[in-house]
Amino acid sequence: MAATSLPAAQPRALRAVRSFASRYGLIGVLLVMPVAFGIHDLQTEGDLSRLGNNLVDGLSNGSIWALVAIGYTLVYGIVELINFAHGEVFMLGSFVSAGFFGTIGLTAATGVPGLVAGLFLTLLVSMIALGVLNVMIERVAYRPLRNAPKLAPLITAVGFSFILQNVGLLWRGGSQQGIDDLINSQHELINFAGLSITHGDMLAIAVTIPLVLAMTAFISRSRLGKAMRATAQDPDAARLMGINVDTTISATFLLGGMLAGAAGLIYALYQTTIWYFQGFTAGLIAFTAAVMGGIGNIRGAVLGGLIIGGIQQISDNRIGSEWTPAIVFAYLVLIMVFKPSGLLGEQTREAG
Amino acid sequence: MRLNRAAAIGLLLSALAYGAAACGNDKGSSAGTTTSAGAAAAPTGGTLIVRSSLPLQGAQRPQTTDMVNGIKLALKEAGDKAGPFTVKYLSKDDSSAQAGTWTAENVSANARAAAQDDKTVAVIGEFNSGASAISIPILSDAKLPQISPANTAVGLTSNEPGAEPGTPDKYYPSGFRNYVRIVPKDTIQGAALATIMKKDGCQKVAMANDKEVYGAGLARNIEISAKTQSLNIIFNEGIDPKAPNYRSLASRAKSQGADCFVYSGITSNNGVQIYKDFEAALPNAKLYGPDGVAESGFFDPKEGGIPADVAKKVKLTVATLSADSYGEAGKKFFDDFAKEYGDKNPNPYSIYGYEAMSLALDAIERSKTGKREDIVKALFATKDRDSPLGKYSIDKNGDTTLTDYGVYKVEDGQQVFLETVKAQT
Repeated sequence: MAATSLPAAQPRALRAVRSFASRYGLIGVLLVMPVAFGIHDLQTEGDLSRLGNNLVDGLSNGSIWALVAIGYTLVYGIVELINFAHGEVFMLGSFVSAGFFGTIGLTAATGVPGLVAGLFLTLLVSMIALGVLNVMIERVAYRPLRNAPKLAPLITAVGFSFILQNVGLLWRGGSQQGIDDLINSQHELINFAGLSITHGDMLAIAVTIPLVLAMTAFISRSRLGKAMRATAQDPDAARLMGINVDTTISATFLLGGMLAGAAGLIYALYQTTIWYFQGFTAGLIAFTAAVMGGIGNIRGAVLGGLIIGGIQQISDNRIGSEWTPAIVFAYLVLIMVFKPSGLLGEQTREAG
Repeated sequence: MRLNRAAAIGLLLSALAYGAAACGNDKGSSAGTTTSAGAAAAPTGGTLIVRSSLPLQGAQRPQTTDMVNGIKLALKEAGDKAGPFTVKYLSKDDSSAQAGTWTAENVSANARAAAQDDKTVAVIGEFNSGASAISIPILSDAKLPQISPANTAVGLTSNEPGAEPGTPDKYYPSGFRNYVRIVPKDTIQGAALATIMKKDGCQKVAMANDKEVYGAGLARNIEISAKTQSLNIIFNEGIDPKAPNYRSLASRAKSQGADCFVYSGITSNNGVQIYKDFEAALPNAKLYGPDGVAESGFFDPKEGGIPADVAKKVKLTVATLSADSYGEAGKKFFDDFAKEYGDKNPNPYSIYGYEAMSLALDAIERSKTGKREDIVKALFATKDRDSPLGKYSIDKNGDTTLTDYGVYKVEDGQQVFLETVKAQT
């Protein structure tokens, strides 16, 4: 009784502050770092090019996280499973890509047309291979557990994550492996008013944007996409409407795996170093991005990925890379406090 | 009932998994000798065991493989004898495939096994300073002599500048000093790096370290020496070894006008990536690295190392010199090594493996009793010893009196000797 009467007893001013904080607090939290450093830059250097470069780097790094995060969010949206193996699928995407372009003989010395064609082929191969792998993982480890307690598929997902990690370990050993820098990743492509955009930045953004657009169009327009959304809302009702739920779920895993495959290739070309453990770190960051953006929401995952990319780069550049993980997760905590459903929120079955 | 059966199957599976893991752990111990642990025969005359604990997997494998070969060669040349004692050698692995480098679990397991085996009278190891920080307390408690062929962190033996607070005493809880090393400590390497950077005309040095005992410690030593030589270090940043890249850190170095970069750490802590990122951000900068990255996994692109155009800007300091910089004994070692293993250009660390075993055998012989404590006394009493590395003594802290560092460049995925640097400490 006392608890319910408390809000009414609050003074009006306090209520106004609270509603102001909940409406604009989030924006304030997100802007505090860029604005503070922006002012600092203007004072010390007279322009914003350093902050701009941080954000460009953040955008390109973040778009890789975004592609991986979409995989988490798609799967969570439809089966409410945190697919812990997804990070490792992404890692294998890098391995398959590096293996494939090595096999077809692409090197840094290959001419531009050959390189573009070869890399496009690699992208297709990686996307198909990892899409199929993800579908197989779903078939083997998650589908039989569809009606089991929620913890069961969670554990098989963790199990698969370790299995795939060991595949990576056996494949390329335990240390980071430098691979051919095919696209001359860190070579400056454009320098506009002090903003430096490298080949790697361009590749990451140029591949991510069309893929994300295609993905959202597919999900909102196509029959299968509609079936996916229907299944996400209510699988039983969807089944009653004649939707083949199993096929729809497989399709979701296929899409998630394909994006992870694409992200794997971009990562390999962008970083030029791959190792079996990259999926763990990337998976954690991408999962955080998905939660930050509102799990189940594709645009939220992309936004979350880009924001984390930005925070990471600003922190690496200004505060110190040893603090970066702490700062990223502090942001996550703050965002969750202001908006528990994530930035763009999503009505999942649990919530709504 | 069903539940019971499921539980039984679960137990069985975990038992099997445990068994498999235990088998996996033994993979590294391949030196042909086994010992029945706990055989409590007092080492009078008879057979004694010298063990090594080195990372036989991951990026350091090429060095440790040749090091083990050096150890075996020394024992073979001594006819498996040290005075009246027959000596057997047992090679243990302190790394795991997953980690690609040493792991705390394997290091302490090896140390405990050595401590509890009464026939073991000396341990050669570890390769990494961070690993020795774990094994020294265990071996010191067991009064078991330890000879490191590769550790350089200052705090393992002394509290001189660069050492962490509380070292070295925290490594010797019982107060018993059992540890000696035959490579110069990082006071010398830090000074050597600062000396060559100064000599090469570096004005503003950006530095990153991997935050391990070795990396962070060496970074402090570089800073101290840079100060005395008035070399400007613009920052010394501890990195997250699991970060995907270090571009923003590198661009910070660029905006601060860095013209040289040095990474104080080991290859396994993302060494390849950090050099790539700094080279890209600072294309005109000179790059430097310590012995922690002087391995083919770092400088050979075929083994996943840095690309050739980055490698050509890198200079490395290692406590080994070129074969012809050593005296007669050194030349003889390289000839013998080539004869035994058919490898004319072994990893420079092979000579440290050889000398570590030779010193162990010498100390066992000088101890007369073959008892652990007497061997420790003999090790610390080492004076003007003629060795392939040159004439050296072991001081009261357990450090070698040798101070020469070699500077190497990288050519075609090989490290090529440039010069010997007499560090300004």
